[in-house]
Amino acid sequence: MQYVIEVNGTARRVDVDGETPLLWVLRDKLDLKGTKFGCGAAQCGACTVHMDGQPIRACQTPIASVGTARITTIEAIGQTPVGQHVQAAWIELDVPQCGYCQAGQIMSATALLTHTPAPTDHDINDAMSGNLCRCATYTRIRAAIKRAADLGRT
Amino acid sequence: MIRLSLVATVLASLLSVAAARAEDATARGEYLARAGDCVACHSVPGGKAFAGGLKMATPVGTIATTNITPDPETGIGRYTLDDFDRALRRGVARDGHHLYPAMPYPSYAVMADDDVRALYDYFMHAVPPVRQANLPSDIPSHLSPRWPLAVWNALFAPSPGFTPNPGHDARWNRGAYLVEGLGHCGACHTPRGWAWQEKSFGAGDPAFLAGANLDDWSASNLRRNVATGLGTWSEADIIAFLKTGHNTHASAYGSMSEVIANSTSYLTDDDLAAIAAYLVSLPATQAETPWRYDPATATALQSGHADAPGARLYAGSCQACHRETGAAAPPYVPPLAGNPTVLDADPASLINVVLNGTAPLVAKGRPDAYRMPQFRAQLTNRQVAEIVTFMRASWGNQAPAVTADEVAAIRKRTEPSTDRIVPLRMR
Ligand code: FES
Ligand code: FES
Repeated sequence: MQYVIEVNGTARRVDVDGETPLLWVLRDKLDLKGTKFGCGAAQCGACTVHMDGQPIRACQTPIASVGTARITTIEAIGQTPVGQHVQAAWIELDVPQCGYCQAGQIMSATALLTHTPAPTDHDINDAMSGNLCRCATYTRIRAAIKRAADLGRT
Repeated sequence: MIRLSLVATVLASLLSVAAARAEDATARGEYLARAGDCVACHSVPGGKAFAGGLKMATPVGTIATTNITPDPETGIGRYTLDDFDRALRRGVARDGHHLYPAMPYPSYAVMADDDVRALYDYFMHAVPPVRQANLPSDIPSHLSPRWPLAVWNALFAPSPGFTPNPGHDARWNRGAYLVEGLGHCGACHTPRGWAWQEKSFGAGDPAFLAGANLDDWSASNLRRNVATGLGTWSEADIIAFLKTGHNTHASAYGSMSEVIANSTSYLTDDDLAAIAAYLVSLPATQAETPWRYDPATATALQSGHADAPGARLYAGSCQACHRETGAAAPPYVPPLAGNPTVLDADPASLINVVLNGTAPLVAKGRPDAYRMPQFRAQLTNRQVAEIVTFMRASWGNQAPAVTADEVAAIRKRTEPSTDRIVPLRMR
């Protein structure tokens, strides 16, 4: 079946079964490999992308349910000021270890900072609890979110 | 010579007609065995089909299901059609002992003679015999005499036979026959009384299919209750659910996933339509306020300022799939907004699904792509209670709060390492 979805501001046409996860479409059909496949079962957060600004798990999002929603992936995260602050903070604090989880971490962090510009530790715990990191970069992630919040203030 | 070969030809064609008939009969029997979901209880995971051995808890002790393959020593190989019929429709085994009513013979009692024969032909001629001795029950000796079951039967088991209801058409009556009979839907979905009997076996009684708690799951109310039942489901919704395990209102979980995998996904479109026509005719048990979507929760979650207890936990653990709107992505990922399981006065299924997730649902060999993961390791009892309470009070849902103690009890009883045997556990 034909679907037209808006990814990073561009209309993209794909021909797949309606049940196909958005993650498969992004990586295999649209060649946007920044979004990672971790568990495929809503358990790790590696596949997090934004749908109308909200973080969602692309592995649990059937393409048939996307409709006219705007999808943003890690490739376009630098298009908003908040995304740029997150990128800068991530580079400054050298957050990634192996890096595999980081696209998902950045998507969740950017969504958090977009609606909560000065998050408390509690806000960060809640918003980031669905994103796992095997390399345990959690303390650097927390520091980078706070640093990005600072960058947003100046 | 010519005459001889003519005789041979006639004979051969007669034989092949007979063979085709026999094949038809066993195919029909196989279909009926699926409609009755015999395999659900008469097999164990990894075991041979129909060889029995599944342990089931009853109020008096643990029993084990029996070998119903045609093995003459350990199975039902020596059963005549009459023996088979007596066990199936009256709950009396070949040696005269009464079966425990975990075997749904009170439901099977409505089966037609022809169907009993087709089922018998299938079990005798198409099921491979398996030599596997039946396990003993561990019912204590003072409770083990079976004669009280005869009294139980006299009190509770309906008399055999199906009487079509002239007030309804043939399709409805076919649905009644399947739901009340072979489908034995009431075994889980009808509340049980003081002697563990199903309170009702037919459409005339408001307790029939009104929902029941079994094995830490709340088997849903299948009547027309607009909030907690199927009152907002169309016939097409019911058909889709029984065929695939999903529709725009809900997805299957618990032992219903197996019922769909082993039984309802194999039913013909006509039979599914008959079941749907029958179910939508069952009046609600009580008047309920219909569910209406309320956008306030979604607005609060979108802005990151939802501060109801449980809202933040929901945002962190659930929202990435079920969305801020609670609408998720049906028929693949079920909505929480307006879902009868979320609105159920008994929160057992909702708690159970959050703690233990859902098993793969395979409809006619095709596994579903989306599944509820387990959260028993990630979330404490208090957190689960908060999340579940939040879901039950959001998006227009109105259902009572859940306590951490309720979650703790279900967590304990569903501990995967437990060897506790639960009532009617289907695998
Ligand atoms: S890949 Fe989607 S949550 Fe792990
Ligand atoms: S940086 Fe390696 S998994 Fe997170």
